[in-house]
Amino acid sequence: MRLFNILRSRLRSILFRDRRESDLSEELQLHLDREIERLQASGLSRDEARVQASRLFGGVEQLKEQCRDARGTGTWDALVRDTRQGLRRLVRDWRFTTAAVLILGIAIGANTATFSVVNAVLFRRQAFADPDRLVNIYQNDPSGRPMIVTSYSAYMEMAEYTDIFSGTMAATIPNPTRYLHDGAVRDAVVEYATATYLSVLGLQPSRGRWFDQSEERREVPLVAVIGYQAWTGLFRADPSIVGRVIRMEGVPVMIVGVGPAGLRGTLDVGLGTDFWLPVTALPAMMPVAALRDAPTIFAPLFVKARLREGVTVPQAAAAMDILGRRLAAENPDQFKNMGEFALGPGITVIPSTDVRVHPQADVPFMALASLMLVIVGLVLAIACSNLATLLLVRGAARAKEVSVRLAMGATRRQLVRHLLIESLLLSLAGGIAGCILAWWGMRALQTIDLPLRVDMSVDYRVLAFAIVLSLITGVAFGLAPAIKATKVDLLQTLRDEGLQPIDHRRLTLKNALIVVQVAVSVLLLGGTSIFMQAVAATRALRVGYAVDGVAMLETDARFAGYSESAAKTMYDDLLRRVQAIPGVEAATLLRGLPMASTGMSIVADSATAQPGSEVQTAMLEAGPGFFETLRIPLLYGRAFDARDRADTPRVAVITEAMARKYFGTVDASGRRFRLQNDPNSWTEVIGVVRDTGTGDFEDDILDPIRPVYYRSHTQSGAQATTIVARTSRDAESLLAAMQRELRAVDITLPVMTAKTMAQARMESEAAAAAVATFLATLAGIGLVLASIGLYAVVAFAVARRSREIGIRMALGARSQQVVSSIARGVTGLIGVGTAIGLFLAVLLMLALRTSSGSADIGIGNMTVYRPSIDPLALLAIAAVTAVVGLLAALVPARRAALMDPLVALRHD
Amino acid sequence: MSDQTDVLQGTLDLLILRTIALEALHGWAIAQRIQQISNDQLRVQQGSLYPALHRLEHQGWITADWGASENNRRARFYSLTKAGRKQLETEVAKWERLSAGVNLVLQRT
Repeated sequence: MRLFNILRSRLRSILFRDRRESDLSEELQLHLDREIERLQASGLSRDEARVQASRLFGGVEQLKEQCRDARGTGTWDALVRDTRQGLRRLVRDWRFTTAAVLILGIAIGANTATFSVVNAVLFRRQAFADPDRLVNIYQNDPSGRPMIVTSYSAYMEMAEYTDIFSGTMAATIPNPTRYLHDGAVRDAVVEYATATYLSVLGLQPSRGRWFDQSEERREVPLVAVIGYQAWTGLFRADPSIVGRVIRMEGVPVMIVGVGPAGLRGTLDVGLGTDFWLPVTALPAMMPVAALRDAPTIFAPLFVKARLREGVTVPQAAAAMDILGRRLAAENPDQFKNMGEFALGPGITVIPSTDVRVHPQADVPFMALASLMLVIVGLVLAIACSNLATLLLVRGAARAKEVSVRLAMGATRRQLVRHLLIESLLLSLAGGIAGCILAWWGMRALQTIDLPLRVDMSVDYRVLAFAIVLSLITGVAFGLAPAIKATKVDLLQTLRDEGLQPIDHRRLTLKNALIVVQVAVSVLLLGGTSIFMQAVAATRALRVGYAVDGVAMLETDARFAGYSESAAKTMYDDLLRRVQAIPGVEAATLLRGLPMASTGMSIVADSATAQPGSEVQTAMLEAGPGFFETLRIPLLYGRAFDARDRADTPRVAVITEAMARKYFGTVDASGRRFRLQNDPNSWTEVIGVVRDTGTGDFEDDILDPIRPVYYRSHTQSGAQATTIVARTSRDAESLLAAMQRELRAVDITLPVMTAKTMAQARMESEAAAAAVATFLATLAGIGLVLASIGLYAVVAFAVARRSREIGIRMALGARSQQVVSSIARGVTGLIGVGTAIGLFLAVLLMLALRTSSGSADIGIGNMTVYRPSIDPLALLAIAAVTAVVGLLAALVPARRAALMDPLVALRHD
Repeated sequence: MSDQTDVLQGTLDLLILRTIALEALHGWAIAQRIQQISNDQLRVQQGSLYPALHRLEHQGWITADWGASENNRRARFYSLTKAGRKQLETEVAKWERLSAGVNLVLQRT
């Protein structure tokens, strides 16, 4: 009851403010009137009574204030009042407000957008039923680290443990796959999974069904489940999707269901999976006949299981340990001669909630995400210190207002609160602007047709992040200026002595902020230079093959329903037609694109490397005419020709880098090597060609010249997909002519790639160029913000010193002297900031150079670019920063120099 | 007037609670009543009376309702709440302990 009364009273106090105020006035007035009446009754005249009562009563307003404080509504009222005043003030100073909100909006927007990506990758969890009972199972490598290499047969063994697991499922890591839709070939991400997949996760398909056990078998028609995101996005939630047949890698696949809305993919990193197919469908999707007919399904699987009620993780681990040792005893081969896929006997069982992808894979993900946050965080730091500078300058300009208010009896606390509310209003407005910018930016990002779909939708975490960020910004960077602004010498300011003592202290807050801004801008520019270097490195690369006049066209006959032999005839026909195009000097067929090679582990009959040890190379499926078409010089031996067929001995052409590296000589023809995982694949080197800058690995431009070998598609059985032609004329018109010929052959053949070599070259730089652009944009924003800060500080100093400048000029100082006296101080600030920034940038480069930069997790390596420290680039960065900074400072300084001494002296 | 004492800080709450325990009163009347009952020994300054009233209401010991004053003007009449009654008992007990203690000290030294 008491609580209720209190609540009612407080609520009333807050909600009915006006009534409460009039009540209070009326109550006090009544008291005063009664007092007057009482005094009158005791014999005083009316006027005397009034005077005496008023004197006794004291200050009505102070009393009211005390009553408000007693109710606890005083603070609230002050907040409302300060907010109102703050808003009015900000609207009046709309130029300042716009600038500050824009600065903050850009910074908070960039941070929010980045955070929403990081949120999807690191924080958001998929809603599996009863997730605490789910475990991930990994087979370990010989040193005991968990790998994602479990084979289908090993998974079957795990699934036998039904006394431990109530259900077991497996899925491959996401595979890039292509499918035909609306006459166009599209990229999709496919996981091959078991029939138990969805039930183990405890989820239901949102439409149709998941594939069942009878479909997890070879030699049955292929079925697929489409991911919810892909269905709502690409297929516009078309309900007729269930039952539709689409061509995937040319193979007809029937869609039997739509995945649950909450399921994005097996790897919980925000990447969306577009289709799930039975794990047994994997061979049918293989491009090479030999792989299609292989008796075993070779696919590294990712295994999850649901623990039975009452079974603990250690119990499951113990059971799996026994299985691991048995597997190792039964198939010793699989555990030895597998190179990077070699297994140890151990099996790791980890609760699924403890890991996102894989214990080791999670580390680089986290690192990458944190790095992104740090980079955009730097921009926020600039924006915040910039806002602080602006507030400081503004606070100093308002010194007189502050002094008047202090003189009128306002306490410092009240003033600080007032100023703080203003900066909070600013930062909240900035936060709102930031959210709008982030939302807009992410929409723009999502319209780009990326091969990967990251779920970046805004959730409560993102919103909370933006709000907390703006609040912290507002308090952290509004408090110091507010405290400083209220620390004024009343007499001095009110008299407004034009001759302010010049602040000779080096370490003022304003100066420190400027130094921070300059330093961070320089650091960002340094980061930009690293990636510019990478782009320049690709450009400078000796291409090593013809670019001018070369065009390529990729199609896949399987999408048009061709059989293998019909496809071969069709491609041959297409090749003849292209060769007949006027101006064409050479043309060739190959599989894939001329710069897209596949990494391979081989064992060479080697003179340099230890015999039998595996080495890394890359393979390209070329064909007869390849080296001639791309003008790659043949150094020794011969190129591919009609002799190289499926029934003749395996042959390869290798690059001189590979020859030198693995055979110790350039003329390696006649030497032999084999694939590391296939003892029957001995291949003879028939020729050596010059190196090209093509090796298109994940880390393409970073380490471009790698040992490469070429095989002929006429021998390997891999169906050619691409026709490359060189013309003496214009490559663009050649490309158009090639597309005409393709349509003439068969209108239903989908175009997968159609570009000139020049375009392809440009695209290969795109990744590093995009990062460089991103960083350059951030650095640019940073530099502009820092310049605004410098400008504001100098402009303010000039305004404050205008009287001093006037006197100096009246006494004969020349305008250059005035400018240089101002510039000297600014140069110092820029110098210190630049030095700190350069130092940090060099540290960053050194850190990148020494980092091992590679995380071996069995699903591909991540390589970090190792930049060289380029003194010229660093010098250029310093010069740009200095020039921009000085320009920003000189604009107001010049204005001071051009001042009329008379006007300046009278300046208020 | 010089023989009047300002109400001791801390006892004002007690006096207010006790005064309105009998009947609901408005601010001026409370001050008058305390002065009368104490035979003009105690004087309540409005500077402390009204903040105290608002604080007590804020704490939920008393509530205020509008009513007609003795000369028919609108006035805020304060009365005890249930919790206020309990609070009054505690305050009285506290006061008695305090004054007994003070008296003892005065008598024995």
